[in-house]
Amino acid sequence: MGPRSRETWAQRLGAFRASPSAFMAGPEGEDLGCDLLSELRSEKLSEQTKVSLLALSLEYPAQLWPDTAAAEAAATSLLDTLVLLPPRPSALRRPLLLAATTALAAGDALGPTSAASLRLLPLLLGLASGSDLGRGFGPASEQRSLQATACECLRELESCKPGLLGGRLGLLRGLLGQEGPVQPLSLLLALALRNALLIQARARAGLQGLLVAGDAPAVGIPWTWALAEEGAAHLQPQAPGWPAAEVQECGLAVLEPSPEEARELRAAVAQLLDTSYLLTPVAQAQLLWLLGWALRGLRGQPPVLFKPQLVRLLGTAQLTLLHAILALKAAFGEALFTAQDEALLLRRLTLAAQHPALPLSAHLFYLHCLLSFPENWPLGPTGEEAAPLLLGPRLCRGLLPSLLHDPMALLARLHLLCLLCADDEEKEEKAQDWSPQHYLEELLAGLRQRAALDGGPRALATLCFQASYLVVRCLAMQPAVLTPLTRGLAQLYQSRPALAPHFVDLLDRVGPELGEPLRVVLRQEVVARPGKDEALCWHLQILAKVADGNAQSATLGFLRAAAARCTDWDLQQALLQVCRALLRAGVGKGLADLLQALARQLEDPDGRDRARLYYILLAHLAGPKLGVALGPSLAAPAASSLVAENQGFAAALMVQEAPAPIRLSVGPRRAEGPVPVLQLQVEVLEPVYSLELRFRVEGQLYAPLEAVHVPCLYPGRPCRPLLLPLQPRRPAPTHLDVRALYTTPSGLTRHAHLPPLLVTFADLFLPFPQSPEGDKQGFFEELWDSCLPKGAESSLWCPLGPQGLEALVSHHLEPFVVVAQPPTSYHVAIHLPPNSRLLLRLEAAQVDGVPVALRTDDWAVLPLAGDYLRGLSATV
Amino acid sequence: MAQRAVWLISHEPGAPLGGTVRFSRRYPTVEKRAKVFNGASYMPIPEDGPFMKALLFELRLLDDDKDFIESRDSCSHINKTSVYGLLIGGGELWPVVAFLKNNMIYACVPLVEQTLSPHPPLISISGISQGFELLFGIQDFLYLGQKHDTEINTKLNQLPDLLLQACPFGTLLDANLQNSLDSINFASVTHPQKQPAWKVGTYKGKPQVSISITEKVKSMQYDKQDIADTWQVVGAVTCKCDLEGIMPNVTISLSLPTNGSPLQDILVHPCVTSLDSAILTSSSIDAMDDSAFSGPYKFPFTPPLESFNLCYYTSQVPVPPILGFYQMKEEEIKVKITVNLKLHESVKNNFEFCEAHIPFYNRGPITHVESKVSFGQLEVFREKSLLIWIIGQKFPKSMEISLSGTVTFGAKSHEKQPFDEICIGGTAYLKVNTFMWLTTLELFCF
Repeated sequence: MGPRSRETWAQRLGAFRASPSAFMAGPEGEDLGCDLLSELRSEKLSEQTKVSLLALSLEYPAQLWPDTAAAEAAATSLLDTLVLLPPRPSALRRPLLLAATTALAAGDALGPTSAASLRLLPLLLGLASGSDLGRGFGPASEQRSLQATACECLRELESCKPGLLGGRLGLLRGLLGQEGPVQPLSLLLALALRNALLIQARARAGLQGLLVAGDAPAVGIPWTWALAEEGAAHLQPQAPGWPAAEVQECGLAVLEPSPEEARELRAAVAQLLDTSYLLTPVAQAQLLWLLGWALRGLRGQPPVLFKPQLVRLLGTAQLTLLHAILALKAAFGEALFTAQDEALLLRRLTLAAQHPALPLSAHLFYLHCLLSFPENWPLGPTGEEAAPLLLGPRLCRGLLPSLLHDPMALLARLHLLCLLCADDEEKEEKAQDWSPQHYLEELLAGLRQRAALDGGPRALATLCFQASYLVVRCLAMQPAVLTPLTRGLAQLYQSRPALAPHFVDLLDRVGPELGEPLRVVLRQEVVARPGKDEALCWHLQILAKVADGNAQSATLGFLRAAAARCTDWDLQQALLQVCRALLRAGVGKGLADLLQALARQLEDPDGRDRARLYYILLAHLAGPKLGVALGPSLAAPAASSLVAENQGFAAALMVQEAPAPIRLSVGPRRAEGPVPVLQLQVEVLEPVYSLELRFRVEGQLYAPLEAVHVPCLYPGRPCRPLLLPLQPRRPAPTHLDVRALYTTPSGLTRHAHLPPLLVTFADLFLPFPQSPEGDKQGFFEELWDSCLPKGAESSLWCPLGPQGLEALVSHHLEPFVVVAQPPTSYHVAIHLPPNSRLLLRLEAAQVDGVPVALRTDDWAVLPLAGDYLRGLSATV
Repeated sequence: MAQRAVWLISHEPGAPLGGTVRFSRRYPTVEKRAKVFNGASYMPIPEDGPFMKALLFELRLLDDDKDFIESRDSCSHINKTSVYGLLIGGGELWPVVAFLKNNMIYACVPLVEQTLSPHPPLISISGISQGFELLFGIQDFLYLGQKHDTEINTKLNQLPDLLLQACPFGTLLDANLQNSLDSINFASVTHPQKQPAWKVGTYKGKPQVSISITEKVKSMQYDKQDIADTWQVVGAVTCKCDLEGIMPNVTISLSLPTNGSPLQDILVHPCVTSLDSAILTSSSIDAMDDSAFSGPYKFPFTPPLESFNLCYYTSQVPVPPILGFYQMKEEEIKVKITVNLKLHESVKNNFEFCEAHIPFYNRGPITHVESKVSFGQLEVFREKSLLIWIIGQKFPKSMEISLSGTVTFGAKSHEKQPFDEICIGGTAYLKVNTFMWLTTLELFCF
């Protein structure tokens, strides 16, 4: 694309700024980054336009050069442009340096493998140290400003890659002592020093002479990345510089410099502080934060170094400076601030929090600082706002809230007043002349009076409720405050029912201390009305929130009266919402009549349907289930209340699948009775009610199985085994598919798929009905003979374990033995339902096994029996 | 300690979007750090459009407060500082430092060097005060001295270049943007060693120090037993020092006139090099007694080039300069008013101007006024429901003037007439504005 004129660029930049994402998604987006870089070298564009292009690249490098490679290429191109500038004064050098720095830092390209970084860093360092870089770098008049800019660029790179300049601390110190611009060098050195200390402390290494001011040449020696590599791992959510108690956690305390290092460090810090008055106030504040952070917890570094600065700074009105002092206070506590200093600091803060010459935002911030003041010996729990001990009621007098204050100032001051009231309650002797409680009460009454103004802005009402909420939160344990507050709020509702949404919101958020009495008075307030009020919709909204099992008849009476007036959809829904609340609260009989009446008389079909639905629910569901079914629905508001309702019910009344809290296993075999019966053992992880277990067998092998019911099961409480009779159609093992249907403690019905149960071949064994006494052998022989010729015969070798044949038989075959001649010979007859038999002769056992002759009348059983017998020895 | 982004948004009530983004600046390298520091709680800086919409909503500047909206009106949504959390696209952008002044919203988002959930206390975030300082700096630059839109537009156009100087990477270097403007112009001057960063260049010429003291007397008189009347003086000492040398030392000493009230609540400019501890502790919080420090108040400093406020103070004057009496009686749609004003004899009877504003709130427009003034003239602003009594430059010899009359109001319509949440029914006020050249202090300059 050819070069563009100034106007086209202005248009293009304007379109980009209006919505960068939309522009980048459009047809021109892709080329913008490349175009911008190439046009910087165009001779047709004015410097001013080029500066505006560079300004864009300073703000949106991620959009222009979205990946690391592109960022690297962009930085290279920017550096080339910089080098190619003619040696006359130019407004482009500074923004080009800034842009190259931004591209590298924001594009993640900064590092030892990036060619652009290896060009930029020595260039910046050379500029910062004021060395002569040759004619390419413009006239001497620009050097000073470029020197400062280079320092800024290095500082930004150091911020993004802590430790980058760790190896150049000595050089920077040297520069600061010479003719360099004080502010950029001071800030750069302070940041590099802090980062180096932080990294070395974490690596448990000393300063290793990093600080010794050297005359090392700025350029020419290779850049050391070692510290930055370690530092890079530490650019992570850092332990805050606040509060001091966390020093140990962030690992700062472990750095114990040698006496020599400590001396060097002290000298460097003193050097920085001594010239700090030459910095702008905001830069001084930064310096204090950085140095405070660097020295916090460092052994052998008394924070007294800061003391001379503090006296000078305490008198100012500068937000940043006072804030920095507070940071030092938090970092060093008593080591830097005596109790008197603390009192003075509090005094200055109190003064600043109300000084008429300062803007409101500053007042509010100072008030916040007062309530979060880092005390030397805090009494309360950390992290909570509290009035500092030394901030007595007298100091607070000027900080009392009044109706004339801006809402934010009023709330901030009200918070302080509440804390005073809480303190006042604890003190035994109370001030005679002035009571904070009384003041608070008057203020709240004034706020309510304003909120009650008909047609007044919502902000006034909001403020009143915010103040009430704040008071309840701070003074929940003081009935002397809550009683008039409850009464006042009831009166407020009386005079402006349109505030109902605020009341509902308040009830949702306050604890029972105010919530309970407020519910009662609001309910009384509403039901005492004839129900023919203009504000009916608000009353219904309140009632839906506060209606419970109390004062049923009055509530129902109100609703009956209101029903006649509920002609439109909104009101009907609001009315039904109250019915819903009553349903949940377990109100019964009177409500059923009302719902029936509503189901007939409401004009809107939606309303009638809903009333009918409630009636049906009331008639068919038991109390707890009803409560759950009508519980808070998460469903989004829908066009029809019935839809919304149904979405709620879908969760509550429908059976939903859930991961099973039930474990099922097959217990010991129970070979008796006419059919095989599985003994099931159940364990549960949570209480389960009305458990129904359903079983299903694949194919037609077994007759359908009956479900098993258990009324309730509790975790850890043993339950008697459940018996599951099996009706096999063929004597074969199988898997049972198991599903559980149960009710949770919260009343919801759930179903779950359990792991399948295995019915083994042996589970089907039943003994034959006992033969007549005496002729057992004959009985067995008769069975033996009857198997053939229809059946099958086989013999196999059953290996024996060390316990021998007797143990094997007693373990597995005991119930089925007809004739026994221990320990060598057993005749076993097994009935396999529905009507097969399996006969075994175990005779002439040897040490390692026994030959088994078996006969069955069902040849299909033969392989199963073979597997079974061979498997026996393994399980003895 | 850095800012992630800065915005200036003009608030335009009634406009479809409610405002226009006049200036915005993002700092991508800071954003990079925010992403790492904030971890899972990181929320990227939104584009200008969504940001403005969310901010206007949070500041209640959109005209839609008809309905209760929980995210804004809930009683637990308590804001006690000018730092907000904005809900944008399902996430919360916090902390947003923002305030409205002269229909312009100043906003920025400071970097927080830790996780944002839970919110760390504001006091632990160094970027908060830096953000305020940056916004105050921009505000001073835009509005000091000028009020015209064209001038402000010119200044807005200068902002990108200025911030490139004063805040190139999001870390504020100088809140005094005028200084940055000068430094662009002074770029060719070679600086000697130890040049303060807050002083661009040096002065050459006749040495001269100009000092002016502005005092505002604010007095509230209730004429009620249970509410004490208040009157307070708020003063500012402004200096302009044209002195040669890099770091000239100047000391200004303020002494009270005989029987003058002590200065209290003194806040000084950061260029003041040391302060007497008595100055640091003298405060209006304490009850007044003879032990209060009564000067002389010495301020040694090394001045910057530009004009600056050396110090602010408050003071208690023994009596209100003008004593007022205001009575209002309601009779259906009419009110009867009586006003008496009395100038205290100790006050010089010579004003630049003096006028009394008598506003009427929560009523309809003024339809008719019958009045009698003993001095000056009465102007009626019917639609604004306001009377202005122009007293002029002098009180009469008696030092007392009075106004009595009856004001009739038309039907009330909510949209147009001034609303006030305090001046309901018989509660009303009268405001006297006046300006005069005089001072209660004597100055010594070394």
